Amino acid sequence: MTPILEVSNLSKTFKTFKAVDGLSFAIGKGEVYGFLGQNGAGKSTTMRMALGLIFPDSGSIFINGSEFNNSHRHLLRSIGAIIERPDMYGYLSGWENLKIFAALSGTKVSAARLHEVLDIVGLKGREKDKVSAYSQGMKQRLGIAVAMAHQPELLILDEPTNGLDPQGIAEMRSLIISLSKDHGKTIMISSHLLHEIEQVATNMLILHKGKKISEGPVHQLLNPDDTLTEVTILPNEGLGAQLASSAWTQYADHVSAERLVFRMNPTRIPDLNKWLVEAGAQVQSISSKHSFETYFLNITSDAAAAHRVI
Amino acid sequence: MRKYLLLLLLFTCCAFNSAHAADASALFQSLRSKVLSVQDYTADVKMNINVSYMRIPQLNGTLYYKAPDKMRLERHGGLSILPKKNINLTLSNLIPGGNVTVIDMGNALIGAKTVRVLKVIPDDEKSDIILTKIWVDETDLVALRTETTTRNDGTVTMDLEYGRYTNSCLPDKVTIFMNLKDYKLPKGVTMDYNDQPQPPKSTDKKNQKGTIKITYLKYSINTGLTDKFFAAPEKQ
Amino acid sequence: MQLLRIELYKIFKRPRTYISFGIITAITFVIQLAMLSDGKSFIGFALQGINEQFDIHGNILNGYLVAYIILQSLLIHIPLLVALVAGDMLAGEANIGTLRLLLTRPVRRSQLVLAKFYASFIYTVLLIIWLAFIALFLSLLLFGKGDMINLKSDAFVMLLQSDILWRYAMAFVFAVLAMTTIASMSLLLSAFADNSIGPIISTMGIVVVLTILSNLELPLFNLIKPYLFTTHIIGWKGFFDDPVPYSAILRSSAILVLYTIAFITTTIIYFNKKDIRS
Repeated sequence: MTPILEVSNLSKTFKTFKAVDGLSFAIGKGEVYGFLGQNGAGKSTTMRMALGLIFPDSGSIFINGSEFNNSHRHLLRSIGAIIERPDMYGYLSGWENLKIFAALSGTKVSAARLHEVLDIVGLKGREKDKVSAYSQGMKQRLGIAVAMAHQPELLILDEPTNGLDPQGIAEMRSLIISLSKDHGKTIMISSHLLHEIEQVATNMLILHKGKKISEGPVHQLLNPDDTLTEVTILPNEGLGAQLASSAWTQYADHVSAERLVFRMNPTRIPDLNKWLVEAGAQVQSISSKHSFETYFLNITSDAAAAHRVI
Repeated sequence: MRKYLLLLLLFTCCAFNSAHAADASALFQSLRSKVLSVQDYTADVKMNINVSYMRIPQLNGTLYYKAPDKMRLERHGGLSILPKKNINLTLSNLIPGGNVTVIDMGNALIGAKTVRVLKVIPDDEKSDIILTKIWVDETDLVALRTETTTRNDGTVTMDLEYGRYTNSCLPDKVTIFMNLKDYKLPKGVTMDYNDQPQPPKSTDKKNQKGTIKITYLKYSINTGLTDKFFAAPEKQ
Repeated sequence: MQLLRIELYKIFKRPRTYISFGIITAITFVIQLAMLSDGKSFIGFALQGINEQFDIHGNILNGYLVAYIILQSLLIHIPLLVALVAGDMLAGEANIGTLRLLLTRPVRRSQLVLAKFYASFIYTVLLIIWLAFIALFLSLLLFGKGDMINLKSDAFVMLLQSDILWRYAMAFVFAVLAMTTIASMSLLLSAFADNSIGPIISTMGIVVVLTILSNLELPLFNLIKPYLFTTHIIGWKGFFDDPVPYSAILRSSAILVLYTIAFITTTIIYFNKKDIRS
């Protein structure tokens, strides 16, 4: 099956800064494709290139199998997008904004459809208000309404939860899941937060300094069996030997007198804890983290980690 | 006998001379009284002002005049432009009043016409007019040309053409030649539209010549215009 | 067409747009008021050179002259008002972020630039029509009719009142052309910038500096003057000369049209390649 969006060997340099470096990927129909990377990794630049906002230095972009460039802008008909902030004309109402952008979508969009998308994003009843009076969350939802009004196959959402409060984030998340499940949209979504992507995406790509680090279905990359559980105990020299002779040794990743790390499905933690107590270990803490997250945090900077929302 | 003859000759000569002077003076006096017989008039005129720095279309209007020096051009809502103080526009203004010394300058030709040229000097030293030369057509008793030197406005020459109103010494057409000062406004003020940079002016025309041509279409004479009329603002 | 409708919709839905009309109205009123109260002495001052030798009577300070005075002073400010909208066209949208969204639509960038140019043009036309209405008709109402005198640096021109209205009509048409050139320059500057203050200020700066150059009497500047568009944007004044310098006005119009085409073409070429990073 032809991918909706395919990118091949895409590169872009701004002055001396290499924003995207030989990037290739493909997004198939029905996928929710997570684009993960810290700020400045090249997510936004890639999305902008796919939308014709930024012109690549080299490489190609295919939309539904046709090569996309500045003279084939009609291909953008099948895409709806929010790039960074969902900025709208503040002096116009939500409805007017929606109408304007729908009129430019290259597709006839009926008033009924506009009402329908307002309903989907939950802005019904507020469409006559000026956008300048909207909250950030409402603007974000209007942005989604604009992006999907002309029934594009692919939605490109660049950091759609940016600037939202926790409730807004939760709403946005369920909206995205619903767009995928109930409305059959293919969605490309970017974030600098793993758990954001993890909760909505079917596929995932990690971008770092413009390069693809890893890519694959989320259930593979985030296989629960690869969760790392770290146990700290009061120093216990004998525990290592006990462990080696037990069944838990197959999960052990790291063993020392006061710190043990296991790679296993986190459902095993209660059993592990029980065994540790029976073996005479004085457990101080148990924490688990997916190895992928550790990996992601390792490759991204401390700054990115500091942004982590718990 | 020869002595008588000589005396007679001398006498005749003197008589002729004085008669000549008297003749010139009388000619001037009769011309002046003819001119002054018109106390006021109202005339439909066409005025063409031809000054190098002024671009003015032909002005049609009504000219009001009252002796000795009141003049007003009314243009039915339009602007009226007359030389300062109207000084040079009418014959009566250019012909000195009061006691004058008239000197006969002999005959001259204007076109094909032989005319007497009179030099008139006012006795009044305070008079604005220092000297007037008048070219007089003796047959019709009209002035065909005047050249007046004034204290304040330089020398003004006026050519007059007569036709229908010869009897009242009112011309059909007057051309006034006057000296004018140069005119200039700073460019920054006016912000002129000049497509091409202008060549520097070739001559510094400190004094420019200008002409004003007035064609009189119809006169109404001595209708009793009052001074008040000339002071009143124009009706719109 | 759709694009143009949307651009016009956006322009006229914005309060800022009406500020321009307000400013024109305000300045016009101020000048009219000043002329009502102090016009006589102003005329006296302006006519000094002429009054030494001629007496001018009648309604000198009539609506036609006042309108000319208003036009003369306002046509310095109108570039600012044109820039206020045209300079905001691309930069303003870049600034509020809507340009991003606009350009992810299947619309050709050149078409967007053209639509914005046409919209600026229509705005300019309306601005000039409003100016014509308020400066000319209101002045005629307040000051009445009359023959018009036009003082040039080296000439005194007088126009008969029956011979003026068509000159104003032509002058306004010319003003539209001149201001369209300004609009196209603003649009070009707007394409370079990501906020609208820059293009608006730059437009004004360029107009002011070039106007000064156009009016300086220096041999060096005389060489470049014919190529400056500011020399030509006051070509409307030509219609108030007698005889009207048609060949000069035609040349000025041609130069303004060429400038406009050059500005728009440059805008399209540049904007077509521009990476939208705002």
